[in-house]
Amino acid sequence: MNLIIGGAYQGKLDFAKAAYHYQSEDVFICSGSEIDFSAGCIDHVEEFVLACVKEGKNPITYFEDHRDDWRNSTLICQDIFCGVVPLGADMRAWRQNTGRLCQYLSKEAAHVSRIFCGLEQKLK
Amino acid sequence: MIVFITGGAKNGKSSLAQDLAVALSNGGTHYYVATMIPSDDEDLERIRRHRDDRAGMGFETIECGKNILTCLDRADRNGSFLLDSATALLLNELFPDPTSCEMDVDAAYRCGDELVAFAKSVANIVIVSDYIYSDAERYDEVTETYRRCLATIDRKLAAVSDTVLEVASGNIIVHKGAFPA
Repeated sequence: MNLIIGGAYQGKLDFAKAAYHYQSEDVFICSGSEIDFSAGCIDHVEEFVLACVKEGKNPITYFEDHRDDWRNSTLICQDIFCGVVPLGADMRAWRQNTGRLCQYLSKEAAHVSRIFCGLEQKLK
Repeated sequence: MIVFITGGAKNGKSSLAQDLAVALSNGGTHYYVATMIPSDDEDLERIRRHRDDRAGMGFETIECGKNILTCLDRADRNGSFLLDSATALLLNELFPDPTSCEMDVDAAYRCGDELVAFAKSVANIVIVSDYIYSDAERYDEVTETYRRCLATIDRKLAAVSDTVLEVASGNIIVHKGAFPA
């Protein structure tokens, strides 16, 4: 599994497509608490985490339960955990759960890249 | 050469940029391109602090809050330029009327292309931007547009830069090229 993290609009998906040869139809864009892992590239994992928070689900448990499904995937997550602690409880839980999930995924990943202004910083 | 510097607020980007712009000028002319159009006392205070910071460094100041290519009419292209910052320049271009939130997105994208053209036209330039992309927050459309436009400019500049630096609490991370000796 390849994990790609980075801030908003930094070019994470463009990097994934170029580095791992995905087409647009290979990309699943998260918007709810379920992920279609049949797509090779999963974008906006942070949106999946937010949906989990709102539904009281644990995003790490979900990934553990589907471990075989994403072993060969590329996962893209915005590093929303670097900014100010938000006032809203859901937003705080979102920030913390995204941070924890990225730690878990980083351990599992073969490669971890941070994309900064369109440039890759290899973290693992 | 083109050096692009970004990072968090009050992390040391501006003072690093000043030092690099002076070093790159190699004793020659170095310009400070002042991009902020002050709108209140806080802005004036910030400008005063930046001016004090670079006092005695020999910068020639060019005020240019919009249409950055017009700077070229007022300066020697063989000089070394410090543009601080892309963030302020975008603010002026994206919001032509500072009293309203009306946005000119076309101007914002033009501003990015002009910055690239400007950077390529001069002997040496150091450009400062701000890294504002890692919040757990749902922003309104205006703020989100501003972030998207600045990121687009950052990526365009990073792509043509010889050196891309991130400053974190005064420490330097080299993302592209080598730190200018």
